[in-house]
Amino acid sequence: MSEIQTLIRDEAVRLLEAHLVDVVVGFKAGTTPLHPQPAFVTNVQEAQNLLMDGFCQNNLATYLTRLPKEQKIGLVARGCETRAAHALVVENQHARDRLYLIGIPCQGILSWRKIEAEVGEDVLSAEETGKTVFIKTRNGNFKLNRQDFIHDTCLHCQHPDPVSPDIMLGDPSPITVPESSDQLVQGFAILKPSERYAYFSQEAERCIRCYACREACPMCYCTECFVDHTSPRWAESMISPSGTHAWHIIRAFHQTGRCVSCGACERACPMDIKMTYLTDKLNLDMRQEYGFEVGMDDASQPPFAAFSLDDKDQFVS
Amino acid sequence: MNYQIEKKDLPALLQQWMQIAQVFAPVKVENFTQFKILSNTNELVLNGPLNTRYPPKSLFLPQSEVLLKYQDRDFTTTTLDKQQRIIFGIRPCDAHAVTLLDTVFDDQDNPDPYWKTRREQTTLVGLGCNEPRETCFCTTVGSGPFDKLGLDILITSLDDVYTLEVITEKGAQLVADLPSLKDDNQQQMLEVQDRALDYLHPAFECEGIKEKLYNIFESEYWQQVSQSCLGCGVCTFLCPTCFCFDIVDETQRGERVRNWDTCMFRIYSQEASGHNPRPTRSERTRQRIMHKYAYWLDQIEQIGCTGCGRCIHYCPVGIDIREMIGNARVWREA
Amino acid sequence: MHNHNHNPYEPMPMHIARAYYESNDHSLKTLELVFDRAADREQFFSSYNPGQFCQLSIFGKGEAPFGIASAAWEGDFVRFTIQKMGTFTQAVHRMKAGDCIGMRGPLGNGFPIDLWHGKNLVIIGGGCAFSTLYALTKHIQHPQNRPDFNELIVIYGARNSGLCMYKNDILSWHERTDLEIHQAIDIPEDDWLHHVGYVPDVVREVAPSAENAVAVVCGPPIMTKFTLPALTDLNFPPEAIFTSLEKRMKCGLGKCGRCNIGSKYICKDGPVFSLAELESLPADI
Repeated sequence: MSEIQTLIRDEAVRLLEAHLVDVVVGFKAGTTPLHPQPAFVTNVQEAQNLLMDGFCQNNLATYLTRLPKEQKIGLVARGCETRAAHALVVENQHARDRLYLIGIPCQGILSWRKIEAEVGEDVLSAEETGKTVFIKTRNGNFKLNRQDFIHDTCLHCQHPDPVSPDIMLGDPSPITVPESSDQLVQGFAILKPSERYAYFSQEAERCIRCYACREACPMCYCTECFVDHTSPRWAESMISPSGTHAWHIIRAFHQTGRCVSCGACERACPMDIKMTYLTDKLNLDMRQEYGFEVGMDDASQPPFAAFSLDDKDQFVS
Repeated sequence: MNYQIEKKDLPALLQQWMQIAQVFAPVKVENFTQFKILSNTNELVLNGPLNTRYPPKSLFLPQSEVLLKYQDRDFTTTTLDKQQRIIFGIRPCDAHAVTLLDTVFDDQDNPDPYWKTRREQTTLVGLGCNEPRETCFCTTVGSGPFDKLGLDILITSLDDVYTLEVITEKGAQLVADLPSLKDDNQQQMLEVQDRALDYLHPAFECEGIKEKLYNIFESEYWQQVSQSCLGCGVCTFLCPTCFCFDIVDETQRGERVRNWDTCMFRIYSQEASGHNPRPTRSERTRQRIMHKYAYWLDQIEQIGCTGCGRCIHYCPVGIDIREMIGNARVWREA
Repeated sequence: MHNHNHNPYEPMPMHIARAYYESNDHSLKTLELVFDRAADREQFFSSYNPGQFCQLSIFGKGEAPFGIASAAWEGDFVRFTIQKMGTFTQAVHRMKAGDCIGMRGPLGNGFPIDLWHGKNLVIIGGGCAFSTLYALTKHIQHPQNRPDFNELIVIYGARNSGLCMYKNDILSWHERTDLEIHQAIDIPEDDWLHHVGYVPDVVREVAPSAENAVAVVCGPPIMTKFTLPALTDLNFPPEAIFTSLEKRMKCGLGKCGRCNIGSKYICKDGPVFSLAELESLPADI
């Protein structure tokens, strides 16, 4: 069993025995090899089920807004998860002193879709060892190069290692920080508006308004989402270009300066829709115009969610 | 009567059918398949993923359906075109699911004209599953990889030949000119159908499941199993037996529209007074499971799940309904 | 009985013949609707019985379910009393005589009146949920129907006298000999001649006999919650206590799935259920 898993289990036991947390949120084995499940560990026995590998594809910070605010939560957190946790603390969604960030290094989340496409059939077992992923199917054995099967968002991750965790388990990731998505975004941005819209429409056409993207996202936690408003009717609920486009565009804008680029939205989507390119552009704008990057500390307010008297106001004459 | 066709002759047969009907078949979308109207037989994908992600129930109950158009106080009800349709390549679990939905939409009291029209105009040509997937559990819940329920024709894929078993008169009309099924192919077909069962193992025991679920209705079990649930609509929208819908007046279009809805959303049961009978994911998860494995049984003595496995495969947090039912069976209060 | 070519999602065009406020605070408004098409009217009255509801439809606002507050013999109209709550009911409250509105119905099972022949009836209502009980009482009062039933006790409570519905008609009930009417308000008022107290307490005070009797309870959840035990204490068995449930509805046809309690749809198997039936259903309300 991997070393990091032992460290996570030991830390969970320590935290629970010392009553430093009420629950440790991590991952445990699922019923199928490529789908570990989120785990909510409240006792020492359950802690032995905690697991961590490249198939752990959810951003666990989404549970911070689903668990009671009074609970002391220990969160097993990779880079994007710690950033989301800090962002949620800034937005008063959970008190920092009731949050214990168990930092672990990340080498990128593996895409079960890419693996299934490669091996062509159901995976019976999957094992990660260093740079290799061993896959066994009914009719084959595969030895895959890990790097080739990483989820697209992770290929551009700027913060794979936890940001200000309460404890850091294991060593920081051996990978060098990859090229940011800025070039990709710029490459998309210089396309003609009609071309950009054609790509967006093509992706959005598959959308079935299941809102898995919204629910998987740690930063989407509104009790009443704008799509459920009937007056004003921001987005029609039917499957139509009008409704679906409004859904994706408005959600992206609501994420401006809040999205941590984890890609949980894309991984949750049952129709394999690409959507991080929208928030990547908005995050790039935030960095360029406001020098702001979300989730790097527990205090800085996202520019679009805060107001101060010395804000620039060139747009108001 | 049963028939056969050389695999290389299938495109010609489909083209014949395309002259008399809209033919829906699995076509490639990104890395998966979806039922769409064939405009060219080259589009057909039969050796891709075992099943489409989006369920073919959408061909009878579209995800969005305009019930009527209105302007001020006047309205026009949507009339559906008289259009023959053939759904080619539907899997037995999905066809079985359509018959379950018939009991809801084609009932004695208020038959749904939109559903009925589509059903009457459609012939279901099913394709059996030689190698069910790891997430398939059709036989556990009363269906099977070559289950004929709901199909007009059942196709079995052999090496060079498709066999076609005619199940209804509607199906017979489509294949009357094909060569009859030869004995050796018939033999092979039966062997293939039998071998498919080897891939399927009982996921849980169905006997007494309803009673057990009612027994634990008030228990802590639901709180436990719903903890990781995100409350999205993936399981219900991809499910071939889920049918809940919302009706909304879209004022900017002047249309009263019916859209798929899901008991997994909080506002589904939210009342105007502010009261919500299912305020947390615990009650909502319970509703979903009870509906499929208890209430359907009360209503029509059939389980409301056909074991297609889509919810297992695409749940963003890996929740497995087989695990949920299995654990429910053995749940004891602490 | 049911026209199978009929599209059950299509509202019947209706006109408002009369519209008037029941309560001084204008929170309750009664509409009396008439049919635009004779065929709709015939179809409706051929199957309507008290306890059923209709989906009223306003294009652009949607639909909402309302209990029918009139008996068939009262005339060729259908009465509803509507409380102003959300967007739809606010739109209804802005309507007046002459306006058109859509209607789908009658929906639901209604009161099982045939089972109650020869019995004593205890009708207990609170607030605006009394509307279907009003329809039931009116139905029973008709000379052709009255002989089918024995004694009739009606207990009707409102928060205050201003919120009492159908005031003039109910005033006349105090003079009738074919029923015993007990009105109640929550807190004392000058000039109030009747009971003061919550409906469950008035039920205990009136103490109707359970002998050969059936009780029907319609009211806000809190009232029903305390009235049912009061009836049980008076020895009414669960099979002899009936109530009408409410839940969020959309299709009203048992198809959209929304209003289920266990394996029953409130719109189709209900809204009227006996306590015995309810006790066999999971607590999902």
